[in-house]
Amino acid sequence: MASLIFEALSFAYPQAQRRALNEVSLTIGNGEFAVLCGRSGCGKSTLLRHCKTVLTPHGRRKGRVLFGGVPLDKVSFRDQSEKIGFVLQNPDNQIVTDKVWHELAFGLESLGMDQKTIRLRVAEMASFFGIQKWFMKNVSELSGGQKQLLNLASIMAMQPELLILDEPTSQLDPIAASEFLETVKKINRELGTTVLLTEHRLEEAFPMADRVIVMEEGAVIADGEPSTVGDMLKEASHDLFCAMPAAMQIYAQVDGPAPCPLTVRDGRRFLSSLWPENPPAFRRIAVPEAEGNGSAAVEIKEAWFRYEKDGADVVKGLNLAIPEGCFYAIVGGNGTGKTTTIHLMSGILRPYRGKIRLFGKEIQKYRDNELFTNLLGVLPQNPQALFVKKTVRLDLLEMLSREKGSKEEKEKRILEAARQVDMEGLLERHPYDLSGGEQQRAALAKVLLLKPRILLMDEPTKGLDNAFKDKLAGILNRLKAGGTTIVMVSHDIEFCARYAGRCAMFFDGSVVTEDTPNRFFSGNSFYTTSANRMSRHLFENAVTVEDVITLCRQNQNQAANA
Amino acid sequence: MRDAFSRCHPVVNFTYFTAVLLFSMFFMHPVFLGISLAASMVYAIWLNGGRAIRFQFLYMLPMLLLVALINPAFNHEGMTILVYVNDNPITLESIVYGVASAVMFVSVVIWFSCYNAVMTSDKFIYLFGRVIPALSLILSMVLRFVPKFKAQARVISNAQKCIGRDVSNGNLWTRARNGVKILSILVTWALENAIETADSMRSRGYGLKGRTSFSHYRFGQRDKLLLTTLGLLIFCVLAGALLQENSIQYFPYIKINAATARSVLVYTAYFLLCMLPVGLNIWEEWTWRRLYSKL
Repeated sequence: MASLIFEALSFAYPQAQRRALNEVSLTIGNGEFAVLCGRSGCGKSTLLRHCKTVLTPHGRRKGRVLFGGVPLDKVSFRDQSEKIGFVLQNPDNQIVTDKVWHELAFGLESLGMDQKTIRLRVAEMASFFGIQKWFMKNVSELSGGQKQLLNLASIMAMQPELLILDEPTSQLDPIAASEFLETVKKINRELGTTVLLTEHRLEEAFPMADRVIVMEEGAVIADGEPSTVGDMLKEASHDLFCAMPAAMQIYAQVDGPAPCPLTVRDGRRFLSSLWPENPPAFRRIAVPEAEGNGSAAVEIKEAWFRYEKDGADVVKGLNLAIPEGCFYAIVGGNGTGKTTTIHLMSGILRPYRGKIRLFGKEIQKYRDNELFTNLLGVLPQNPQALFVKKTVRLDLLEMLSREKGSKEEKEKRILEAARQVDMEGLLERHPYDLSGGEQQRAALAKVLLLKPRILLMDEPTKGLDNAFKDKLAGILNRLKAGGTTIVMVSHDIEFCARYAGRCAMFFDGSVVTEDTPNRFFSGNSFYTTSANRMSRHLFENAVTVEDVITLCRQNQNQAANA
Repeated sequence: MRDAFSRCHPVVNFTYFTAVLLFSMFFMHPVFLGISLAASMVYAIWLNGGRAIRFQFLYMLPMLLLVALINPAFNHEGMTILVYVNDNPITLESIVYGVASAVMFVSVVIWFSCYNAVMTSDKFIYLFGRVIPALSLILSMVLRFVPKFKAQARVISNAQKCIGRDVSNGNLWTRARNGVKILSILVTWALENAIETADSMRSRGYGLKGRTSFSHYRFGQRDKLLLTTLGLLIFCVLAGALLQENSIQYFPYIKINAATARSVLVYTAYFLLCMLPVGLNIWEEWTWRRLYSKL
């Protein structure tokens, strides 16, 4: 039986020329686990919001949505609240009350259930999700991952038949994200709840899915089992492939036997099957010279830091030298002190022991004015913390308000900053109306107007899809070519492997190891890219998908010539 | 928390504190004052330990002395003149009254410190949620948003600091302007994000008719017993008050009813009432020890 049916659904936002959804027809079966993917702005979220009347956006609409065989607008608000669960992107904004137990009960209170039923349901959910330990806590004490798990649990307490998740893991770190997705999988497998999920993190979502739906420009372009979709996209040689799991990307570019591999294990088998007898001839990839041999732009010597006098040390005897003109990435798990280190470098926090020097001069000796103009630029994790005006243009102009100079001159500088971040077309938009990636670029333009020689960034790729990541990397590369030193803290191993000049691994308050990405990741065996994990039994130093593909082709060409 | 009374039903907690606070405020009879002060101190120490002792010595003792001294300095009523200071009579009555009101004041403050430790926000929300259901949700949401806003204000302030536009950058005028700007960012952010909160609420059926209010408190047998005891004791004390057992006249001369068997009974009732939480704790400690020693 079908759980959810879209019948030729078209939709356009008010005053928009283009349709956000174009004749979408889909049938999601009962108990199915469907993953919906596509670029940012392809209409995924709009489609999901059509699954629940209270969330449906305003605009022109054609076609209809059926839930359990009944048109959605005929299904009562009560039934929709109970049977269709919806988890949104931001873990923080969805939480309504101050206590974990109250949040779990919120939906059940709305449905008007009595004490006894609520008590039972809440107990069940807390046990299923392993929430008992923090059941009585304040929600403000929870981590991001716990918050999102709480959101999921408080929806599951209503026992929905259909669970819709709109990029639920985009704000989580990789470990919390895979834990969350595992829980979703458990719900699907053990309770039989139908799941419709949109995700950027396809590496993990794909193997779980029964079905993958690919959207582009408001229309469905591929639909089927994950490996079938892989084949479909391969035939169309679609550029969406850059968003697919590493194994699928390699499969698409290298001639080899079907079926399309999804996981690292499958990818390993796939690569092994290419050279069944002898190991491949070329095992190493040529690596570009290590960059940034100049003097240190940022130097940290034996820095120690803790937040409270009696608290534990967060940064412990950290030594770090970041060469000028380098793109330096700091990776590592949660709570190892990475973000604290960025705050130390920006002077927001001060170490209680040790020294931090910027271009050889101690950071305390700079005056505020010197520090934050023409020297240090800090891109906050949440770009919204920077926006003050109605349009991007006014916002950028505000940054120059304290400087002398004619209007034309300032206008010119704004345009230049906008060009640096590829935003010329978006200058008249309200900053809050931009998508996540665009907001980030607008914030970056603001920071760039101060002409920083060192750019510090905290998790710049959080919540971005691959197309936006590539764009960001392009901008950063241009800045680097202009001589800016870039320091980035990230969980995004794939991004660091591909674009960073040097990588450092943070653990327990200091740097454990530091090297060029290639040597860094080929030296690690767990904390490394999936392309590396897939190919390390064949190739010595293939780190990115491109590395693997290049080596495979080299070997295959040689075999063909021989 | 090791306090047994805090684990009782909020209704019991609230009834107790209302009674004790009101009685402490209005009974100026020395015996009642003494009982209230002693009980409040004992309970505060039980609840907060060393912190309470420090608080009582560092702040309450000086305050007690101050209030006791101020009254005779300004109040010259009373018949028994002890001494003249700058032609102003210092009377025995005003000194006694000063001490009495100081004790009253200090014991009320200490009771409030106990109230704060026992009546946590969820108990308060629960109680008022029963009277006005919508209010309980609003209170709970407010308590959710305050820490959230504080955290976000810090994030924004840090971000602004890094572009040289925080309240700690520049001269006074710039600082004030930066402060307003940070506030404006915070408000925009809050409104924008509230849309998602509203979506989350509505998608979980907020607005349906017949909303109930869940709580994890259970009114057990012991709560019933405690509430009955409380009621009886309060009745005794009120009856005593009606019979003038607690009345005292300070001006122009001190007049107090002689203590009779009946007044001793009322004093006892008041003592038991004030010491109820401590008594409960002692009883629990005792049963625990007894059970434990048998094992």
